[in-house]
Amino acid sequence: MAQYRTQVRIIADVLSTARDQNTEGTGVGVTTLIRKGNMSYTRMSKLLSELVGSGLLVELNGDKISKYMISEKGIQFLAAYSSFEDFAQSFGLRM
Amino acid sequence: MGQIENILQFIGVFVSFSIAYVSYRGVRQTQSSSLLRLATAFVFLGFGFLVEAFAELGQFVPALSLTATAVVVGGLLLETTGYFFLAFSHAVDVVLSKRMGAALLVFPIISISGTQLSNVLSILSFYFVLYGVVETLYSYSRTRKPDTLLIATGLALIGVGTFFQWLSFLYQNVGVLTLLQIILQEMGLLMLFTPVLRFRIGGVKVDGPV
Repeated sequence: MAQYRTQVRIIADVLSTARDQNTEGTGVGVTTLIRKGNMSYTRMSKLLSELVGSGLLVELNGDKISKYMISEKGIQFLAAYSSFEDFAQSFGLRM
Repeated sequence: MGQIENILQFIGVFVSFSIAYVSYRGVRQTQSSSLLRLATAFVFLGFGFLVEAFAELGQFVPALSLTATAVVVGGLLLETTGYFFLAFSHAVDVVLSKRMGAALLVFPIISISGTQLSNVLSILSFYFVLYGVVETLYSYSRTRKPDTLLIATGLALIGVGTFFQWLSFLYQNVGVLTLLQIILQEMGLLMLFTPVLRFRIGGVKVDGPV
């Protein structure tokens, strides 16, 4: 049975990937985010612009490609999301 | 007995608004539509209990003689709207996952219910809560989260309470039915309050919406 993701769930997934895949501290590339986020390039590009604009992600400009790192605000968002997801699940709801 | 009912109604107001507050904080911080529907449901339920509590209070304070049928029906209408949003939150999940909720099949029975508005509202509330119980139990079967089972039990108690409310309209001379209804609904509401107690009231905050 297909489970459709809400916008907030997609944001949380992208932020989680940016946090978990940044093992070397140099940021995460768009390809990794697309693969883990299961989204098209166009949609991911638009979302990344929004997340950088709202301060949840930090864009690191390299020589050729941009990489992304989760910001302090992004970490706070994930913590809040996790708490509220737990709360919503208690009522049998999905975020 | 009226005073006990009154106190229990105000507890209902407190519990409902507390759940609505935590849900609203969730909406502010995550922009979640599920939490928005949950907050809306409990705002309606809170106001429903509040109106009913003041209607009850009117029996003791002449200045607040709000015992007119219209006020009672108004309170019930708010309460039913709250239960509708509670059921609707699950219904949206059903639509999102393109799955037909089996509990929706019980809705046609509404059409053969009583003619009085209060009766209709009570039985509507009962079906909305029943639908919520079925969906929450379904959710529990997936997540196996103890809190979800507790919420389903709480909703079931509220549902039985609502059924007693309907009976109290039919058999108005049996006063114990109203008390039973409120006790069951309060027990149910207190169970719904558990996630709020576990929730960190001073939790993390994000400046502004995403």
